[in-house]
Amino acid sequence: MMRRNSVSRRLIRGLGQVGLVGTLLLLAAVVFFYRLTFSHLEAGAALQRAILESLEHVALPVVVLMVPVTILGLRVIRQAFVPLEDAARSIKAVKGHERGFRIDTSQMPEEALPFTGAVNDLLERLDEAAKRQEAFAADVAHELRTPLALLSLELDQIDHPRALRLKGDVAAMRRLIDQLMLLAQIDAAASAQIAPEQIGLVELARDVVSQVAPAILDEGKMIALDVNGEVPGIRGRKEAIAAALRNLVENAVRVTPAGGTVQVFVGPGAVMGVRDEGPGLDVERLRDLVRRHRRADHASKNGAGLGLAIVDRIMAAHEGVLTSNPDRRELVLQFPEG
Amino acid sequence: MRILVIEDNERLARLMVDGLQLRGFSCDIALRLSDADDAMASAIYDAIILDLGLPDGDGVAWLAASRRYRDMPPAIVQTARGALEDRVLGLDAGADDYVVKPVEVEELAARLRALLRRPGLRAQTVVEVGSLRFDTARRTAHVGDLEIELSRREADLLELLMRRAGAVVRREVIENALYNFHEQVTPNAVEAAISRLRRKLEDARMRGVLQTIRGVGYILKDTAA
Repeated sequence: MMRRNSVSRRLIRGLGQVGLVGTLLLLAAVVFFYRLTFSHLEAGAALQRAILESLEHVALPVVVLMVPVTILGLRVIRQAFVPLEDAARSIKAVKGHERGFRIDTSQMPEEALPFTGAVNDLLERLDEAAKRQEAFAADVAHELRTPLALLSLELDQIDHPRALRLKGDVAAMRRLIDQLMLLAQIDAAASAQIAPEQIGLVELARDVVSQVAPAILDEGKMIALDVNGEVPGIRGRKEAIAAALRNLVENAVRVTPAGGTVQVFVGPGAVMGVRDEGPGLDVERLRDLVRRHRRADHASKNGAGLGLAIVDRIMAAHEGVLTSNPDRRELVLQFPEG
Repeated sequence: MRILVIEDNERLARLMVDGLQLRGFSCDIALRLSDADDAMASAIYDAIILDLGLPDGDGVAWLAASRRYRDMPPAIVQTARGALEDRVLGLDAGADDYVVKPVEVEELAARLRALLRRPGLRAQTVVEVGSLRFDTARRTAHVGDLEIELSRREADLLELLMRRAGAVVRREVIENALYNFHEQVTPNAVEAAISRLRRKLEDARMRGVLQTIRGVGYILKDTAA
């Protein structure tokens, strides 16, 4: 295996070579200065003196000089790399989709600036590209709404059983567009770095349940809210979390049979979730849905998977997680406490 | 009921108006804000349906400015932008409700009916939800010819629920509306009042019209619609 190039090792090697050359030169100087000859090496006393001279004038200066130089050199190198290690840690701490992340160059040694500067430039170009992509997606979603509104209103005036089916399709398209808009907005909000606000999960759940209840009753289903134990406040983006809960509820309504009840629950702890009367979503399948949609190489018929991928992204932005308890038919939003 | 539809896409406006007229609303169209100002100067409207992005300005800004110097009918803001921040923005600017494009005429009609049931400048004295009628002046309720006997508190409760028919009325809203500060509200006073009212409604063949949304509140809903 080839050993990786290391600045410290190169320094030690270099200093070793300098030491060796220095030692030889000094030794030659000593030999020349004291006119030592090979004959001296034979006599006992003369040999002792020769050894003493070389120790005093060769080994001692070399050791006295080389050891501190080596220590200092290694320390300088280590300190020079501390800002780079810090930068590496802060880069690693970036989870997922934060925008506007740049390496802090204030502590960087001058020699590292061309490198960090180039990395920051690249990050900026990537941000720009992502922003353009999202703006485009949002524009497309936006532009699609007017023709969809026209289509749905025209269909409204046609009294034919097929018109009803088409209206269902239009509604499905509308849901998809809503989800895309939501996704674009979450990313836009993340990049704008809007300060999070204090959120009461119970109040938020009541709002969401109030909003969605009429439509759920229209489908002949019920919705209820249970508040369990103490629920601490969290910090985050209210509309985004409300959208996440709405997505879970919509998902649950879809799989709950007529006459069934969708149960929303809050607590104990910074937890919110939805229990439905469907078959339950197993952990693997959830991960699959979320992952596939993140890669955007899969499209489900009604946007259910897309909805869950969006919930997952909202949770990631809040340092929380979306989990499934299939045996209890629950999807749970777990937020960090405090 | 006369509605002003402010929408710059003429075809969309025309289709919306056709749909609303089928459902008993009479409508005028304004394609721009200046047209809307003219229309409002020459007629009295019961409600406005307002698009956000218009050729001669922003709907929300116009609404906020108009509210400052004249009486405005309740407004439903319609937007294609949609979702997160717009709703907050619109409601802050004095919109009474908010719908996201593409809106269904059925939904728009329902929102208009709900809006017009709210107490306001031109509030009617009789509130109707399906075949249930409540006379707000005489405090009496009828289903067809059949009168429902109500206590004062039950009448207040029914009016509150009917004015917001189709929407969930939160428990604490009912508590605040029905009981004043000095009254001791027992934890299940609202539940008791609701269940008495529900029984009376069911006796009057209005089964299922008053539903409990556990943990949140109650909703009165026309089951036929």
